Amino acid sequence: MHFPKWNRQDADLTQELRSHIAMAVRERMERGQSRAEAEAAVRREFGNEVLVREATRQQWGWIWLEQLVQDLLFAFRMLRRSPGFTTVAVLTLAIGIGANTAIFSVVDGVLLRPLPYPGSDRVAKVFMHFSPQNAPHGHMCQADFSDWSAQNQAFEQVAAYANGLYDITGIGTPEQARGVSVTAGFFPIMRVPPLIGRTIVNGEDSATAPNIVVLGERLWRRRFGARADAVGQAIEVNGQKATIIGVMPESFRFPREDAEIWTNLHLTPPKGRFPFFLTGVARLRPGVTWKQAQAEANKIGRTIELAGNGQYRNLTMPVVPIREELVGDVRLPLLVMFAAVVAVLLIASVNVANLLLARFTSRAREMAVRVSMGARRSRLIRQLLTENLALSLAGCVVGTGLAWYAVRLLRVLNPGNLPRIDAVRLNAPVLAFAVVMAILTAILFGVGPALESARTEPVRALKDDVRAGSGKGRTRAALVVAEIALSFVLLIVGGLLLRSFERLQRVDTGIETPPDEVLTMLVSPSATRYKDAKSQLAILDRLLEQIRKVPGVQAAAWADSRPPNYWSNDDTFNIKGQPYNHEVFPSSPIPTVSPQYFSALGIPLIRGRYFEDSDANDRPNVAVISQELARRYFPGEDPIGQEIAPSEPTPKQPWYRIVGVVGDVKYAGMASEAAPVWYAAVAQGPGLPMFLIVRSSREASALGEEIERAIHSVDSDVVVTYRETLSIVMGNAVAQPRFRTALLSLFAVIALVLASIGTYGVIAYSVTQRTREIGVRIALGARPAQVLGMILRQGAGLSMLGILIGVACALAATRAVSSLLFATSPTDVLTFAAVIAVLLGVSLWASLVPARRAMRVNPVEALRWE
Amino acid sequence: MKTRYQSRIEILQGTLDLLILQTLQWGAQHGYGISQAIRLKSGELFDVETGSLYPALHRLERSGWISSEWKTSDNKQRVKQYRLTARGRKQLANERSRWERLAAAIAGVLSPQE
Repeated sequence: MHFPKWNRQDADLTQELRSHIAMAVRERMERGQSRAEAEAAVRREFGNEVLVREATRQQWGWIWLEQLVQDLLFAFRMLRRSPGFTTVAVLTLAIGIGANTAIFSVVDGVLLRPLPYPGSDRVAKVFMHFSPQNAPHGHMCQADFSDWSAQNQAFEQVAAYANGLYDITGIGTPEQARGVSVTAGFFPIMRVPPLIGRTIVNGEDSATAPNIVVLGERLWRRRFGARADAVGQAIEVNGQKATIIGVMPESFRFPREDAEIWTNLHLTPPKGRFPFFLTGVARLRPGVTWKQAQAEANKIGRTIELAGNGQYRNLTMPVVPIREELVGDVRLPLLVMFAAVVAVLLIASVNVANLLLARFTSRAREMAVRVSMGARRSRLIRQLLTENLALSLAGCVVGTGLAWYAVRLLRVLNPGNLPRIDAVRLNAPVLAFAVVMAILTAILFGVGPALESARTEPVRALKDDVRAGSGKGRTRAALVVAEIALSFVLLIVGGLLLRSFERLQRVDTGIETPPDEVLTMLVSPSATRYKDAKSQLAILDRLLEQIRKVPGVQAAAWADSRPPNYWSNDDTFNIKGQPYNHEVFPSSPIPTVSPQYFSALGIPLIRGRYFEDSDANDRPNVAVISQELARRYFPGEDPIGQEIAPSEPTPKQPWYRIVGVVGDVKYAGMASEAAPVWYAAVAQGPGLPMFLIVRSSREASALGEEIERAIHSVDSDVVVTYRETLSIVMGNAVAQPRFRTALLSLFAVIALVLASIGTYGVIAYSVTQRTREIGVRIALGARPAQVLGMILRQGAGLSMLGILIGVACALAATRAVSSLLFATSPTDVLTFAAVIAVLLGVSLWASLVPARRAMRVNPVEALRWE
Repeated sequence: MKTRYQSRIEILQGTLDLLILQTLQWGAQHGYGISQAIRLKSGELFDVETGSLYPALHRLERSGWISSEWKTSDNKQRVKQYRLTARGRKQLANERSRWERLAAAIAGVLSPQE
């Protein structure tokens, strides 16, 4: 292939050299030589015309480009000529590069790409952390917020928001949307303009401001068919009229991914420092660092603590940049996965390097011919490197295809509940990454073999049988040791995660009913229609009555909490007769449940009784406590009949008489420790919305429709959401660990397969090389078993060395992942032992095939070989 | 024949450019003519290999010190002629003075005084 300009210049050069020869010949003939004589002499003088032309063309400057194209085309021809080698090498590289590209696209989308809000790296959420509430990212009350905004210097603007569920009525089918109510500073801080209409402005967060709402684009399209005249329309939000003032674009998902509605928060003058429901959001003033902002927040925290008059202890105000808040939890797992795929790519490169070494050995003659024809060594190396580049680019293309498919699956399924999954895509930076990876890989696996091969001594290579020894065996062995060590590390990390995940799955949640027999849903009767405790109790009772009539419902109960990871209310508590100390009485979940809650979930009764229908509103307050609470606070005594109360002791507090002790249930996640929990009765303190917990005698998911119909037969405006069986809830609770465990195990298995292929290759190569030696041994009387043992020992030696190095690396690597492990030591002996056994077994198995071939070597043939 | 071949001296690295520029000082010339001129002028001592000559010519042209054009020779053959450019003339002066200083320095070192 040539470019037009090169063609002309080439033709010119040929013409120039021809004229030179013609003139030289003519001059010699003029001096009396015959034409033949003259031509022979000139040719001798002139030298090799091809070389002259080549040397001249190199002066043209862009010769390298032409050569690259030439080399690439030649390379592709060479690769096409050995389809077996090419397929294996390209697939190996494709897996390595594809896995890297896919994981990098996730890292890029989730961790690297800025959030779609202008200057989002200067925006933070501000929380409040104090005893006795003890939530690391706890809420502040309205008085705290006004103190903070009054004293703030570090931020150019501050705002507060409160998450909520919003029942949208007045436009047909009632619907519940997740959203937030925000103060006026919220939208200016985020700097995202609305799609249409306007956002909430100064003054609209006052106590007397009319109700206004900003809709999310999805909600607007769904409910208003994307009509512009939606703005200005009035809807009912949580039973109150509110005017739509604007629509935010789909990409705006702040402060939570599923937010679809933003309402104006009414800042009414607070009556005291409660309730705690606000989170701060703020934009850093230019020139202020996060550190300074945090220092100032801590200072303000101390003044709030003083103003709280003993209500707070150890109050701090964590300032968390919004990206950190969003992806902080997944950073480490993603980086671990990224490290794993890089290791897989390294292993793949090693395998391809080994393949190339073998291939170059068999191409030694070709190289020798080219060297003796006058090819320069640097030119040969370049040709070989180009071949590797071609290989690598082909791997890159196939790998990118794999990655594209993987990313698509990932976005649709999002099996790991990753935040910002929408931002994950194969875009230009990711593709650039893939190409860079391919080039790096080509260098990594190609330079060694190319240098090795270009060292060919033409005479020896042409004369000798190329199979006869060369020094490449050691290089190949070292490469295999390296890949065994790498795959050992991956297997250890994968194994530890698997083991920890298995333990997580087997965690005793305290629920004895099979989780697929339990259906849960969040039931939200209108909070404006049912305002007081009496009407709330009445509607809850009427609903339950209808629900119980649905065939298959064995037990039905209300609860404001849902194990294994949700509770709505927590507080410190105190026990009559025990001196109160906030360190002794940590903030604990206080689920409010109705009587059948325990039997529906199968929470065992240990002492006393469950709640009963007689524990009504007008009866003395009762409580059921968890076993852990009984163990900690009533050691050696009977808790039944003792009295417990929420919060810190106050003179007029209501006491709850303990009537029962039940088994421990996880409320703070599958991985949480058993913690003190005490239950209150719905009848003695109702609230809305409530989770419905139903135990079914048949497939629980099948009951959903009928139960919803029963609910709507009582009140058609009741909104039902989160309709899920408990097994789905539990599955979601471990989605992230399951995802990372599955992926890492996959990578570890790929690494294992590649490493065993590598081992096989090296041993098989060595058997081929040693055929003569083995023949001699057999001729001298070595038994087949001895030959087999000799080859197997060679394989075992390689893997032992690899494992030894691997153990050292793994001990360092597992420390980094220890925070991802649950109830599993990073040096878990069983995992290490199992991985060592597996690797040894697999590499022995990989060397068994060539070893058997060695055993069957026919000494006569082997010795006649040369 | 053999002795004569051996008595030739390889052109010093880097001096071929100077010789070419110098040769072109007297007018346009083609590659063959340049090589013949250098050989004659050096008393048959220098043998310019075509494998060095043509790369050098193309290099000098790319540097802008010489330019080329196709001419038809006396016996109707298309030949490529090179001529010195203005920049080439300056370069020649530079190279010359550099060479003269070098030669003087070498002579000084080799001179038998003291």
